[in-house]
Amino acid sequence: MHVKRIVMGLAVGLLWIAGAGAAGFETRAASPAPELKAHDLAGASKTLADYRGKVVLLNFWATWCPPCQREMPSLERLRTKMAGRPLEIVAISSAETPDEVKTYLTKMKLGFPVLVDADSSNTRRWKVFALPTTFVLDAQGRVRHVLTGPAEWDEGEALAVAESMLAELPASAKQTK
Amino acid sequence: MRLFGCFLWGLWLCACGAHAGMPDYQVFPAAGGRLLLWVASERGRTEPELAAARQLAARGVEVWSLDPANAYFLPQVPSSMDALPAQDLAAWLRSAQASGKQVVVFAVARAAVPVLRAAALLEAERRSRLCVVLMHPNLYTTAEPLDEPAYLDLGDLSGLRVRVLQPRRSAATPWLPGLLDQLARHGATVSDAILEKLREGYWARETPTDFEIAESRRMDAMLLHQLDIWGCT
Repeated sequence: MHVKRIVMGLAVGLLWIAGAGAAGFETRAASPAPELKAHDLAGASKTLADYRGKVVLLNFWATWCPPCQREMPSLERLRTKMAGRPLEIVAISSAETPDEVKTYLTKMKLGFPVLVDADSSNTRRWKVFALPTTFVLDAQGRVRHVLTGPAEWDEGEALAVAESMLAELPASAKQTK
Repeated sequence: MRLFGCFLWGLWLCACGAHAGMPDYQVFPAAGGRLLLWVASERGRTEPELAAARQLAARGVEVWSLDPANAYFLPQVPSSMDALPAQDLAAWLRSAQASGKQVVVFAVARAAVPVLRAAALLEAERRSRLCVVLMHPNLYTTAEPLDEPAYLDLGDLSGLRVRVLQPRRSAATPWLPGLLDQLARHGATVSDAILEKLREGYWARETPTDFEIAESRRMDAMLLHQLDIWGCT
């Protein structure tokens, strides 16, 4: 009886730990994404059309946001892991100036594009109410998954979501130059 | 089973009795003509808030400090604030106004909801004498990505003067105009101020910046400055 209780307790504990690790992605019916109209740190204009044909992971974040900072290294590891595959990670800083973002990036080296939403127009168009919020778009530019809050992007559910989106692509599109 | 039922019934009666009328609050007396009702957020009252209350009292502003979650034995989550009895808070506001002092309510985060609902229950003349300062208020029912936000029904706020203090470094800052519109739609006269280089709850952050530490030590001065430039008297 005593052993049974211990085993039950361990099972519940393991389930709890597994649950705590789940990122909590919300799957959406494929719908056209709102317009993305932002600038990169060099001042070049960027829209979703620049990433068409690829799975896009669009991450709204801010330099002052601790959960955003925590997930950045895993986004960078995901970029490395997915090198050569048609996945584009795009981080868009919400309501911050290019200088604030540039200062942060002197400490945190990122190999994926970072855009700036200085006037927060994209934040409002995409209805982002919490940071980080990440949208996973398919190669047609449709929103397929949404995550509010941070994730470990190179493992678990987050990696599975990225892989499932890439698996939908035709074989000819599964490698990039 | 019947005994247990009686026990639960008794417990409920005790709980109601303990909270009938007005919530428990902490008083920081002062002789000046202003009375600040400080309503802590759903996360509970913090030491910097108590320090600010002491500093305000030393400057002549009396403070009544309420920790709603603690006063009503509720979990420290936003939904607890929605469950607070607005009648109790309205009685508290009336009692404050009966002091003859100029009453200003300062409510943090989701605590804005019961404060506004209580203000809506006041008689129009009493409401028009009240000044309400909301620190990064959360008035949403739902706020989901890709969807329009939905706001709570707060009742009639006509004649109420509301000033929203919004830390710049907050995901809510881009949505401030919508929130102000919502308050105005309820009849409130609204104004706002952005608190630069600060995050929500900057006085209770786990990893505060040097600026946030400095600002959390001068919350009294910040509040008095805001009241002065607002001119709600």
